[in-house]
Amino acid sequence: MSSMTHTEQLSVRSRRQIDGWRWTGRIFLAILLIFTVVPIAWMFITSLKTGFAAMQYPPQWWPAAPTLENYTRLLDTRDSVGQDFLRYFFNSMYVSVLTTILAILVAVPAAYAFSRFSFPGRTFLFFAVLMRNMFPAVVFLVPLFILMRVLGLVNTHGSLILTYLTFGLPLAIWLLKGFYDNIPIQLEQAARIDGATRFQAFFFIVMPLSTPGIIATAIYSFIGAWNEYIYAYTFLTRQDQMTLPVGIQRFFSENATDWPGLMAATFMMSVPVVVLFLVLQKYFVRALTEGAVKS
Amino acid sequence: MAEVILNQVVKTYGSIYAVNHVSLTVADGEFVALVGPSGCGKTTTLNLIAGLIPMSGGDIYIGDKLVNDLDPKDRDIAMVFQNYALYPNKTVFKNLAFPLQMRKLSKDVIDSKVMAAAKVLDITHLLERKPRELSGGQQQRVALGRALVRDPRAFLMDEPLSNLDAKLRVQMRSELKRFHHELNATVVYVTHDQLEAVTMSDKMAVMDGGYLQQYDTPKNVFDHPRNTFVASFVGSPAMSLFPLEIIGAGTSVSLGSPEGWSFPLNELNSRKANASTGKKVILGARHSTITVHKTAHPGAVPGKVYTVEPTGDVTFAQVFVGDSIVVVSVEPQVMLRLDEPVWLEFDQDRMHLFDGQTQLALNPA
Repeated sequence: MSSMTHTEQLSVRSRRQIDGWRWTGRIFLAILLIFTVVPIAWMFITSLKTGFAAMQYPPQWWPAAPTLENYTRLLDTRDSVGQDFLRYFFNSMYVSVLTTILAILVAVPAAYAFSRFSFPGRTFLFFAVLMRNMFPAVVFLVPLFILMRVLGLVNTHGSLILTYLTFGLPLAIWLLKGFYDNIPIQLEQAARIDGATRFQAFFFIVMPLSTPGIIATAIYSFIGAWNEYIYAYTFLTRQDQMTLPVGIQRFFSENATDWPGLMAATFMMSVPVVVLFLVLQKYFVRALTEGAVKS
Repeated sequence: MAEVILNQVVKTYGSIYAVNHVSLTVADGEFVALVGPSGCGKTTTLNLIAGLIPMSGGDIYIGDKLVNDLDPKDRDIAMVFQNYALYPNKTVFKNLAFPLQMRKLSKDVIDSKVMAAAKVLDITHLLERKPRELSGGQQQRVALGRALVRDPRAFLMDEPLSNLDAKLRVQMRSELKRFHHELNATVVYVTHDQLEAVTMSDKMAVMDGGYLQQYDTPKNVFDHPRNTFVASFVGSPAMSLFPLEIIGAGTSVSLGSPEGWSFPLNELNSRKANASTGKKVILGARHSTITVHKTAHPGAVPGKVYTVEPTGDVTFAQVFVGDSIVVVSVEPQVMLRLDEPVWLEFDQDRMHLFDGQTQLALNPA
């Protein structure tokens, strides 16, 4: 029993090697996790502190007297801070949801057309759509502002929705096109022979199969619109129209910054995105692995 | 069931003719195979009958109805696809029910029709499964079930057996034939496999380059190929074709090769050779009509064995005659060695002569 056969030695060695790699991976993930989780944790911990506790040095890792006061204030409709916060939250929700709905309504038929029909200029048009993504978003700030002013859309939520669509649609169309490319055209043909109109074939057969892609598109559009700062800051000047990323700046003031209040607001702001992502992440991963990669 | 008539049907993509003035009539209850190599236009023709792609010209009738401008759903046809095209997110039951739901039938009627079709195809135990949980053969049956669940006027089938393994394919071939017989169904069946076409169809339409090359019973296509393409496409191993020169005229013509040998034709073949537009003809001979001699023989042409393929029942050999390869068959006990000289004698009653220029079969002048 003391001596191992050659193959046993080999398998032990390779198992050690695998274990080694597994540990390397775990350590790497742990570092990554610290990098992403610590700021969020610190944001949450600070949001439970009083203004005084937040500024203490050395810092309190966990507040001596945790309080929910920062949250109750944000949700209090009688408090002016709460009123503003809820208004920004509503504005952000309005802009993001509308952007998401419009993005799907446009991206689904566009992607389907790019995937299924051949028409003059198809390659050029598809390239033109994707070209938007080759430039940083900020490059379009001034031209879009001028355009919005000409259209009379400055200081309207419409300007933001249009802008976010401009940024979100190229990827959405590209992602969904990958999905439709992978759905055999014979399925639609079979449906049309079975008695469906072209639209029914799309609606009953193709669309259910592209649900993961549509959900991924929705998440992507929503998060993009929800987090956007620079355009919201430039296009909207009226207080009552502001979206959350711009609105929470109000916690900074000339004399003092309400850190716990700011952290509570940012934490509340991340809740919809996190919830959305947790619920739908299964589809999101499937969309990115299935749709974009040709089988 | 109904007849299907194609009249001068054309489909172009830019300047390319995918289907070039094809006319054919599929009689009520007939099984017609559209056969040809890939890119010959057979699937395009089927899609035109189905209405899945627009025609560039011509007329298509299903029954007595002109269907040129009708949507697929209004043509009352059923189609079986090569990849089966089962709806992956629906159960077998819902796959079969879909064509009936689209026709707004009541739930009771749908249930009974689906059960009836499932019973015929022996798939009742699979009704609650999703397509991906089925084997290839089972998927094939479901696809067939979805086609026959609603008594269409014609069945269109696009290489329905080509995704099955060899054994299952042979089995489904006979089942499809049985099914055609029992339903007295009009079937248009696309395949690239000439053996499928020959064994299953009442008539076969051989296509190449967008043209209908020949439309006839498998026996006639096999025995009287209209041109060199059909001759070389139908039959396995393929008919051997090689170009020869006409020597002499009248009723005693010989065919000669550049190498210098020649052999005389009988009277009928002489008259055929006389109908040629030029001095060149193409001789066509199936392996079964060629006798192999190991020594020089009057009227036989010299060749050299190139490859030998024993299959058990029969041994095939490729023989170089001049620059052309001729496939011959011999009894398994006949031993042929590579590079061995042999003499080939053609059965004059069963050989084919084609015009060297037009490639068309020659008829006696």
